[in-house]
Amino acid sequence: MSDEDTVGRLLEEGEAPQIPEVKYEYLDHTADVHLHAVLDDFWGSDLKESFEQVATAMFNYMTTDYDRVEMKFVFEIEVSGDDILSLLYRFLDEFLFVFSTEPFFIPRVIKITEFDLETFKIKAQGFGESFDTAKHPQGTEVKAITYSNMQVHQDLDTHNIFVIIDI
Amino acid sequence: MRTFNDEKKFLEKISSNCWHIKKGFVDNMKVDGYFYVNDNLEKLMFDELKQSCNSKGFGGFLPGMKQIANVAALPGIVSKSIGLPDVHSGYGFAIGNMAAFDMNDPKAVVSPGGVGFDINCGVRLLRTNLHIKDVLPLKEQLAQCMFDHIPVGVGSKGIIPMTAQNLEEALEMGMDWSLREGYAWAEDKEHCEEYGRMLQADPSKVSSRAKKRGLPQLGTLGAGNHYAEIQVVEEIYDEFAAKKMGIEFKDQVCVMIHSGSRGLGHQVATDALVAMEKAMKRDQIEVNDRQLACAHIQSPEGQEYLKGMASAANYAWVNRTSMTFLSRQAFAKMFHSTPDDLDMHVIYDVSHNIAKVEEHFVDGKQKTLLVHRKGSTRAFPPHHPLIPVDYQLTGQPVLIGGTMGTCSYVLTGTDQGMVETFGTTCHGAGRALSRAKSRRNLDYTDVLEALEQKGISIRVASPKLVMEEAPESYKNVTDVVDTCHAAGISKKCIKLRPIAVIKG
Repeated sequence: MSDEDTVGRLLEEGEAPQIPEVKYEYLDHTADVHLHAVLDDFWGSDLKESFEQVATAMFNYMTTDYDRVEMKFVFEIEVSGDDILSLLYRFLDEFLFVFSTEPFFIPRVIKITEFDLETFKIKAQGFGESFDTAKHPQGTEVKAITYSNMQVHQDLDTHNIFVIIDI
Repeated sequence: MRTFNDEKKFLEKISSNCWHIKKGFVDNMKVDGYFYVNDNLEKLMFDELKQSCNSKGFGGFLPGMKQIANVAALPGIVSKSIGLPDVHSGYGFAIGNMAAFDMNDPKAVVSPGGVGFDINCGVRLLRTNLHIKDVLPLKEQLAQCMFDHIPVGVGSKGIIPMTAQNLEEALEMGMDWSLREGYAWAEDKEHCEEYGRMLQADPSKVSSRAKKRGLPQLGTLGAGNHYAEIQVVEEIYDEFAAKKMGIEFKDQVCVMIHSGSRGLGHQVATDALVAMEKAMKRDQIEVNDRQLACAHIQSPEGQEYLKGMASAANYAWVNRTSMTFLSRQAFAKMFHSTPDDLDMHVIYDVSHNIAKVEEHFVDGKQKTLLVHRKGSTRAFPPHHPLIPVDYQLTGQPVLIGGTMGTCSYVLTGTDQGMVETFGTTCHGAGRALSRAKSRRNLDYTDVLEALEQKGISIRVASPKLVMEEAPESYKNVTDVVDTCHAAGISKKCIKLRPIAVIKG
């Protein structure tokens, strides 16, 4: 996936989405950070939402005040994988990439617009702004996504996802 | 899933400092596993295993012991998979794990998981001719000056001017680039592993994604456990070796820099992981853990990774060199002197996340091996041809970075280590508490206060996260170093304590 496929555009008045409820937590892991998205079994929750939550969990670690991130523009990404785990891996890696390079984009809200588990493709939008150390209190740097004990529980009502990210 | 007690049947203590992991502990083990611990460290290792048995496979993470054993199941591994005393659970390989693969075995593999995402993460130590008495009156200003000079923390950008063309050259030339651009001294190179340049580097094997991540970050420290510290010599165990390193007296001031290849290295590793997953299907390589993705050393994917890894390693040396330059400038400014007059030479620079081609004796026969060291440090003995002339009689200096506010050590390599652990020893304290637990149990103001009481100045980009890096979150570095010393795999030389910490 080259970055030519990713595009950013300024948000119009009232276009910013609602900030969703936090449905992720950070579990104990000796060296790194263990992300866990877990969705209560209520109407409308699905695996797509777990994907969105786990990506948000990653960004929440990069600043100690996530609410300082304003939704000024929307950034689109598109990824594909060979199976559910590689899809999740590349989805997170792509968001890490747009954070780590020009325009150093940090999303406050992530919305998946296309979620295809047949061909393993995702299109997603991030709503946020450029990371600015003068504005956003620095958190911890995420080096990379790992496959280490990565789990996606598609069959459970709670759609749990476990990902270990390297810090 | 086996119970904790069933798991223990595969483990045997073979000496006061070493445990044996027998075949069968995980599937397909080709060789045995071994790990070095003392009593305190042993408990932490078994806690990890117990915790994993309790999670019954839902969520949770693999304990270090299982990871050492999974590495022992990789194709072409030679002799044993070794956990050093700071070993703990990581991803793929354990952190503090080393394994060697036979270059002449066509089935043998190279695994990016055996190097880690932070390729050529390492430690560099500079000396000065200053005494702590010279520094104390200026300590706060000096810490601030270092902090102002070195960009730290997530989202920070380098101040060394770089273009895309410069980056290509830096990836190819490593510290030769720094030298040419005037950021390094000629003698700095002499005191680096590989003389600060891996010759097999090929920047064309580094993706444009990786280069994009690397370009803005060159000359930045990073975050997490990376730091720059002003330290003083607290104890000298081996006067002869210390003198060779230019350490003459107690309370001599040094500077330690711990950093790696930043986003560039992380992306090189990520790219290789994705490419190797495909190669594994093609070449029918089976591994126990997806993060252990690997490729035959001689396959296109294997060769590409090694060339990309070498480029990332060169980036890391340029990165540490750039911060050496900035530290020298900060000291020169504060002491109205020159780095030269302050005798700010590089004592040594070690890589603790790297794979290297080395010659070793296995069962009396000389073999060419690809040695993976992840969170472990090369520790070659005296007279080894690959260590600098200055250290031929002492053995290679090994730099062990402590944690924020605790001691660091300089060790030297030994003949016993060469035989037992392929010339490898520990790399640091190794984590004991998870970051989440540190956040729950410790308060950042307490941690900052404790540092102040110890007389340590701190400048940190994210003060609210210092508890994650608090000494309580780590194993005791002295336990780790003493275990290496007692086991004979390296020898204690110098102990340093921090007086100022700069971190992300």
